[in-house]
Amino acid sequence: MESEERMSQEREIEAVGVVARLIEMATDSTDQEVDPRLLKAIKSAVRSSDDEVRDAVRALMNQMKKPHSQVRYLTVLIIDELFMRSKLFRTLLVVNFDQFLSLSIGFRRNLPLPPPSTIASTLRSKSIELLEKWNTSFGIHYRQLRLGFDYLKNTLKFHFPNRLENAARLQQERREREIRSKQILLEKFQNFKECYSLIKDKIQSTIDEIGECIEILHAKGDDEFVSYIASDDDELEESRPLALQQIRLDALKEGQKVYESSENMAIFDVLRELLRLLISKHLPLVQKWMSVLVRVDVTDKFRDTALKEFIDLRNHILSAKEKCAELGCVFVDGPVQNDDEKDLWEDGKIEIDAPGESSGPNSEAKDSVNTVTANNDKAPALHVTKSSDTRFLNLPPEKRKLLSIAPVVEWGPFLDNWGLNRDAPANQRGLELESHWGRVDSDAVIPAEKIAELSVHRTVYKEQPVEIQPCNAPLKKGGLCQRRDLKACPFHGLIVPRDAEGNPIEQIPSSVESINEPSASGVIDTEQDLDLDKLTVDRLFKQAVKNVRESDRDMKKTSKRAKLARVREHNEAVLRDAAIASTSYSQAFGEHEEAVEDNKMGRKTKKPTLNSMLRKKITAKDRISKRLLSARATDASIHQLMQGADLKYREAFPNQW
Amino acid sequence: MWKEVRAREEGALPPNSFASRIRSRRTSSLELSQRKEIVSPHHGAVNSLQVDLIEGRYLLSGASDASAAAFDVQHATDREGNGLIAKHKSLFVVDKQLEFGHKYAISSVLWYPVDTGLFVTGSLDHHVKVWDTNSVQVVMDFKMPGKVYGMAMSAIATTHMLIAAGSEDVQVRLCDIASGAFTHTLSGHRDGVMSLEWSASSEWILMTGGCDGAIRFWDIRRAGCFLVLDQSRSQLGRRPPLSTNTVKKGLTSRMASSGQYSAKGLVSQRKSSLGNTMKQLPSLRKGNFLSKGSTVQRLHPGMTSGQNRATAHYGAVTGLKATGDGMYLISSGSDSRLRLWDIESGCNTLVNFEAMRLQTSKGMKLAVNDDSSLVFTPCMATVKAYDVWTGTVKKTFHGHYESVNCCHFSSLDQELYTGSNDRQILVWSTPPAAFEEQDGEKVCSTDQDNWSD
Repeated sequence: MESEERMSQEREIEAVGVVARLIEMATDSTDQEVDPRLLKAIKSAVRSSDDEVRDAVRALMNQMKKPHSQVRYLTVLIIDELFMRSKLFRTLLVVNFDQFLSLSIGFRRNLPLPPPSTIASTLRSKSIELLEKWNTSFGIHYRQLRLGFDYLKNTLKFHFPNRLENAARLQQERREREIRSKQILLEKFQNFKECYSLIKDKIQSTIDEIGECIEILHAKGDDEFVSYIASDDDELEESRPLALQQIRLDALKEGQKVYESSENMAIFDVLRELLRLLISKHLPLVQKWMSVLVRVDVTDKFRDTALKEFIDLRNHILSAKEKCAELGCVFVDGPVQNDDEKDLWEDGKIEIDAPGESSGPNSEAKDSVNTVTANNDKAPALHVTKSSDTRFLNLPPEKRKLLSIAPVVEWGPFLDNWGLNRDAPANQRGLELESHWGRVDSDAVIPAEKIAELSVHRTVYKEQPVEIQPCNAPLKKGGLCQRRDLKACPFHGLIVPRDAEGNPIEQIPSSVESINEPSASGVIDTEQDLDLDKLTVDRLFKQAVKNVRESDRDMKKTSKRAKLARVREHNEAVLRDAAIASTSYSQAFGEHEEAVEDNKMGRKTKKPTLNSMLRKKITAKDRISKRLLSARATDASIHQLMQGADLKYREAFPNQW
Repeated sequence: MWKEVRAREEGALPPNSFASRIRSRRTSSLELSQRKEIVSPHHGAVNSLQVDLIEGRYLLSGASDASAAAFDVQHATDREGNGLIAKHKSLFVVDKQLEFGHKYAISSVLWYPVDTGLFVTGSLDHHVKVWDTNSVQVVMDFKMPGKVYGMAMSAIATTHMLIAAGSEDVQVRLCDIASGAFTHTLSGHRDGVMSLEWSASSEWILMTGGCDGAIRFWDIRRAGCFLVLDQSRSQLGRRPPLSTNTVKKGLTSRMASSGQYSAKGLVSQRKSSLGNTMKQLPSLRKGNFLSKGSTVQRLHPGMTSGQNRATAHYGAVTGLKATGDGMYLISSGSDSRLRLWDIESGCNTLVNFEAMRLQTSKGMKLAVNDDSSLVFTPCMATVKAYDVWTGTVKKTFHGHYESVNCCHFSSLDQELYTGSNDRQILVWSTPPAAFEEQDGEKVCSTDQDNWSD
């Protein structure tokens, strides 16, 4: 314990000025974030005592006064960290809050934020965001925060991100919506309470009726069935083999069912009617009310009992439906069911989806499908696209197989007599055209060959759409190049397959290996290996050529450079000589060039520092303006102009000096 | 603190000094009030503030958007944040929408010093208006010759109810509420008059500071001004040494007696004192020697000081404030200077107030605390509290974001109110003591240290 205390004391002694130094270190960087290790060190140092907090505030404010936005930005980040944590820090910072704001947001016109301007703008937006955060979390305790926020928002009309308010508004909206829906539910529930018994009675009566109908039907069927069994049951049973016996039993069971006949048609009709009523109207109703009952937020005895009863009711309905289904009285949802003829013409894609339904009347559709499938081998020239298999899932397997290979043909009038090999009547309009245009032969036919000839199907050839692979070369700013070119991207050269990062995948890695260890592959002397060898030889050859060329180019380059340098040297020497001899302007010319060159060299070697951020990038325009606007240049030009004027003057008044 | 209470209980400490000690302690610990907030209804710079003199309860404010408002500073109208923040909303606002309201910025507001039933507003639309507080109606309207810059009413007046109004016109006018007319037109300034102040010791003495840099003292019972303050006439310390200058002595004796003027002895005394000033004042300035012979004979004796071109500040005099005892006058000028004048001698006391930067374009309202040891001065966006006698900065109040125009110190609560161009009225008060803080502990739970690592 004692040693620990002493340690902490020592640390405190040591930490005098440590915070300031740490802060200085942390803010002396070009990153967008404070170094987390330094930040942690600052935090732990500041935490140790109140004096440290005071020190930190002082040091941070000093950093804030530095004329560099990057320093200020990092300082603001550190301030935020400490501000959210220490009360003392808050009270100290808030005392000079207007100064802090003017340094971080730069709202005073005579104190704009220092360069670089890009970071200055991020500094401003970040500070505004932080101010809003602080104001929402601590504004209530610090008048200065409120004042600053209020001033920026209401007087200077700064735009705040308003994060909290937005969230609150969203929540409020959601809550309101919930309340509204609850209210609606409650209203529904009240309605339901009123008409509950009525609905229940109605449905119950329908179910009862259905039950009665079924009973009647069964009663009739039973009579027949009993007589049938009595007639041929006992004597034949032993002599038949088991399989047959099975078949017979099935048949018997089948016979047990009641079928619609002319006698019980009326009952069936009633039954069907009732079933329709029950399923199309009552079942959804019951389900709706049940969902209402489940969702409504009322603790009520009535609700529980009602819910229970409704569940029972639903079960009754379902069982009734099942019973009816047993009787072959099936009710399928959908209004299309009722008028079958329409059905056929309504969906244009008859060839695929009609057979899904089991009910009889759309056999025509089936037929059409058959014709298509049967004729598919007759039309090999047709343009074919495979249709997806999912549509055929509910078909018998052989048909599915056929469909999967069947061509899809665009719709056209030729489909009307697809595969028909018969003559067509030439005059079948039904109009009496006799003696209008001469004699009319009403029995004339067009021969089948002619018809076939007339209705030859033609389609325009369409090219198969080919997916062009994106270039996928990695971009400087991140991401991959999304240009789609056939062979070469204008920016990244030939398009080669690349992996997810955009690095080109080596096309023949195995061949490279084989170059290295030919003995390994030498054992297997196959055609493939030979092929590989050939490939590698090719590659090697290419590589060699490339190498030679490159070295050649390098040689050329260096010699060229040397030549250029020599020329330049010569030029400069000449220029300098000339400068010494003649005007100051040309001397300055040479110097400038040197200076610029120096600058270039220096910039290349230096690491990015705070100072380098401040330095403006030197563009061609700058260079030109520097040369043109330099004092010597302007002086020279003025001098020249003056000389010109002087000359003119002398010419005009030759007798004057 | 408890020790003092004990001493007071035992009778060791006289009640007066006990009270003044507590007051001065509270004054010295002023800071931006965290709990008290005045909700400013103004849309323009707050130009003038005053708390009424009777109850010390109602704060009147006048702003550049031609609106004036009154607040109850004792009882909050609203509370916010679990009752942590007391919000004082305006009791009423008069603005342009009102039929007889001002058209342009209100430059100064005043409570009628006798009760809060009346208040006066002066505006840049050339009008001085007297309002009935209860009905919020204009009861009297004085048309001035120019923009009204400042007004003053005497707090100690018993025989008159005059509003002294300074405008861009060179003449200072005294408006009589009783008759609704101008009773006096005081001419002497060479430029507009920005600030006016009635003497705290005599109800007839008016002090005005003009844009010409002169501070003139007027006795409203006589024609002309009787004193022009000169920055070059100075004395060191609080009182002039008696033997050095007979001129000052004469002045001092006259000034001292002026407080006790009686109606009967007025004529004779005036004559003697007038003779005194007539003889002495021109001799104070060299420039007047030449014109002396020609002008003095023709002019009314009271008007001779009109020739006196002495200045108190270089540039305009923007603010005047007399100390509580009426013995000293503090003036601020557009030369960014504060000067402390001895009213009795008319001398500059040469107190060097530390460097400051003052607003130059507008008149401003200074404030002194109740024992006149501190003067609160608006210095651009801050308010500085100067020690009156040494000129050192005791405290700087940061809080406003734009130039501060006016301060008012309420001696009852030891609170300072400041109004600024950023449309805010801020309250500066003593922070609640530690034991008071205890009650709010549970509410403050959000404002604690929160070290996660």
